[in-house]
Amino acid sequence: MIGIGQHKELEILRKRVLHYAVDEFGMTLPEIRFFLLNSEEFMSVLEKGVFPRSPTNIWEGKEVITHRNRVQIGLEPGVYYEVVQCGDPSYAYLNDGNNLVNQASVMAHVCGHAEFSEINVLQNSEKDCTERVMWLSGQVDLAQNFLGSIDYRRYWNAAASVTQFTRPKSQYNLKNSVEHDNIISEEFRVRDDAAPPLSYFSSSINELYGAGNEHTIRQRIADEERRRKQKIEMSRSGYRLKAPCEDMFGFLVEHAPANEAERDILRYLYAVNKTSEFVMRTQIMNEGWCMYWESKIMHKLFGEGAVGGAVDYCKTFSGVCRPRPWYARNPYHLGYVMWQQIEEDFAKGRLSMDYVNEKNVDVRKQWNRPPAGNPIDFMRHLVRTITDFEFLRRYLTEELILKFHLNRIPVHEAERMRIPPEMILKYDDEWLWVVPEGIKEKMLGNFTHFGRPRIYIVDSDYRSEGGLLLYHRDDELGILRQDWIEPTLRHVSKLWKAPVFLLTYDSDGKGELVSLSKQSCVREDYPTYPTFDEVRKIIRTGRNFE
Amino acid sequence: MPNAPDISSADSEGAFNDFIDDYIEEGIKNIINNIDERGLDVRGDEVVFEVDGICPPTFIYDKSGGMGGGIGRDPGKLVFSIPFERLMELVAKKLRLPNLLKSGNGRIMEMTERFKTFGTTGVILDKRRTFKRALKTNIALGNYDPENEKYDIWIRKRDKRYKLPVAEEKPKFKAVVFYVGDISFSTWGERLDLEKKVVSFIQMWVDFNYGANNVEHRFFVHDSEAHEVTQEQFYTVTNAGGTYAAPAFELCNTVARNEYDIAGTNFYLFYFGDGEVFGEDAEEIGEIIEQSGLELYSRIGITEVMPSPRGWGSCLADKLSHLEKDHSTVVRISKLYEKKKVFVTIKRLFGDEKEVNEPWEEPPEDEEEDIDF
Repeated sequence: MIGIGQHKELEILRKRVLHYAVDEFGMTLPEIRFFLLNSEEFMSVLEKGVFPRSPTNIWEGKEVITHRNRVQIGLEPGVYYEVVQCGDPSYAYLNDGNNLVNQASVMAHVCGHAEFSEINVLQNSEKDCTERVMWLSGQVDLAQNFLGSIDYRRYWNAAASVTQFTRPKSQYNLKNSVEHDNIISEEFRVRDDAAPPLSYFSSSINELYGAGNEHTIRQRIADEERRRKQKIEMSRSGYRLKAPCEDMFGFLVEHAPANEAERDILRYLYAVNKTSEFVMRTQIMNEGWCMYWESKIMHKLFGEGAVGGAVDYCKTFSGVCRPRPWYARNPYHLGYVMWQQIEEDFAKGRLSMDYVNEKNVDVRKQWNRPPAGNPIDFMRHLVRTITDFEFLRRYLTEELILKFHLNRIPVHEAERMRIPPEMILKYDDEWLWVVPEGIKEKMLGNFTHFGRPRIYIVDSDYRSEGGLLLYHRDDELGILRQDWIEPTLRHVSKLWKAPVFLLTYDSDGKGELVSLSKQSCVREDYPTYPTFDEVRKIIRTGRNFE
Repeated sequence: MPNAPDISSADSEGAFNDFIDDYIEEGIKNIINNIDERGLDVRGDEVVFEVDGICPPTFIYDKSGGMGGGIGRDPGKLVFSIPFERLMELVAKKLRLPNLLKSGNGRIMEMTERFKTFGTTGVILDKRRTFKRALKTNIALGNYDPENEKYDIWIRKRDKRYKLPVAEEKPKFKAVVFYVGDISFSTWGERLDLEKKVVSFIQMWVDFNYGANNVEHRFFVHDSEAHEVTQEQFYTVTNAGGTYAAPAFELCNTVARNEYDIAGTNFYLFYFGDGEVFGEDAEEIGEIIEQSGLELYSRIGITEVMPSPRGWGSCLADKLSHLEKDHSTVVRISKLYEKKKVFVTIKRLFGDEKEVNEPWEEPPEDEEEDIDF
């Protein structure tokens, strides 16, 4: 592995790419450090979560062996395109098997990723992210010495069970769900400009005769008592749940009882996995943004003769941007064509209210009015303010679904899916097209849960024994895999070091409480399985579950 | 440009290989119980496994329900390989099997070559040593001087080092294994499967102990007469005739004496049947074993595979139990009723003498009576 500065041609290309990206197109980029790797190193970096270093763990080794087997028997290509760890600075890894034109395109692609991370609303770019992870990796290696290899492996494997429940960008992340006792709640803060409320113990005649009836007074006493108990609870544990917490792993990192060595393991795994949510929520916009800028920069490079092989590049580009049906959408293709469409629509004034309100089809077809500003500035504004859900909701229309072939399925797959006849628009020997209605809703629906169970922490002192109560939200995607519930709860219990409970539902939709303590795992009916709104209300009002 | 950060997956891959070793060790019994007539998938010198679900458990949707899945974590199968030698070591460790005793020490020797030393001429170049010498030479000559940006390394002929073989005499042990099967009763279905599993393991175990090139495996079947057959025929030939096992034992003894050097060869005999014998057959077998078998064979194993309920015959195992008791270093008897007890039979046939003190396996509960006639 070498730094790109040691390779003359690549260093020249890097300078040209950055010149166009920053000087000509005005991209906002952090420092980007490029490295050149061989295929084994590439595989290794991929398995380390795109960080240069990781502690010893068996799952990375398993993935390396899996990849190697798959490459040997031809199930995977041996050559990877690019990988980048965005941050400030960003680290980009190039494969030494690529030719020069591919390397140039990769560098341009990386610029797109770096800018998107830097300016997107989810604020993925973090200062010295890679360096921090490398430092944590060293701490975890020390932790292994402290814990011993067996305990270390067990703790790591336990934590590996919950890494996918890392949701720092969720509406119900740690910041929005957990209140700490060093934050004075608004309820207890006295505002200077507000007159202090009369206490119901006041001797004021208004209080005695006009403040309210007995029920109101009882309610106020109950509310006061509830707030007092919450304050006590918070001072005892240092925190209080004020809403369901979807960032389960983050909660365990902060609040699970752990020694320093164990805490380092949790912190490392959290640091490595926390970007996965950003990727899930912005993949289409992100990859499309990168392909958009990659094509622009490559046009410039071809134009000035910095690289050759335009035809080969076009073949590669079209392969990467091949359209796929909506259920297996290709983010490179969908993002790229949508950004192009948005640029064109904005440039022709089609993203205005006048166009939306125009009912005449012919007028709409001929529409071409001056834009309200620079299309690129508008596109950057979108990057700064929305994610994939809003991106698709606003700009993916039925016409575009047809245009981008999102409703086109290979015939053999359509046979397997058993598409009902009324859904079929047309077909030939190779493809089948379904009606576009409903496709957008299906795509948007995936952004709420991404096909994964949504598990929330709803009580950190369940049954007053310090138990952790988890709530499985019903997204109408079926039940959890039953044989994995107990071992997963055991792993969570190993991290929480207390009983753990999971509130879920069975195949008939009836509530079920799975309780795991040291002795056993017990399942019992939970007749009053609450909806998510009910759960929020229970937490907000300080009531107990059950 | 900052220093290149360190990248190596060797540590984690090593940890995973250790994990797989532990996993195999835990699952050895299952592996043995599921061997088929092909043995394990051996490619070259390695045994290839497919393992399900080596993946940390987590909350995912149950795909079998039809609606779940999506972007889930499907553990799938993991294919990996370990050296055959390593697998058999794990088997021996888990089942606590002692290595087979080998006789013929000092009688038959074979020459082997081991690469213990190095020289300036030879056939097999030792690259590491050669490079080290070349590096030292070039540093001394000033060709390699990173501080002055000189990076040349020239390998001269006198820098080259070759691995040199040293001839050694090593005793060569030879073994012959006789497998004898009773085809007088229906040997098919589950009974045949169980027989195949035990035979497969015996083949692998003896090959491991002696080296595959030093072992011969020979197969015999009998009904009222004994015949030698191929391994494929051993599993496929059937008859519905009478049972007379003693001739098979005689035939094995005859073959051993006539075709091999008794002094330099280790003989093993393993018999498989339903255990029902008639007339004086069991006594004859006992005499053959006592008179010549105990001296000739390193191990005699008699396995009743899914023993039939007794009609008017007698039980071979019961009749010969005194031999096991008195000569447990040579004679071992076992009963095998079901697949998950294959490893118990293996332990009984090859384990140390205290295995003999364990009672024979009992038929599992709810076993249906065989319908004989």
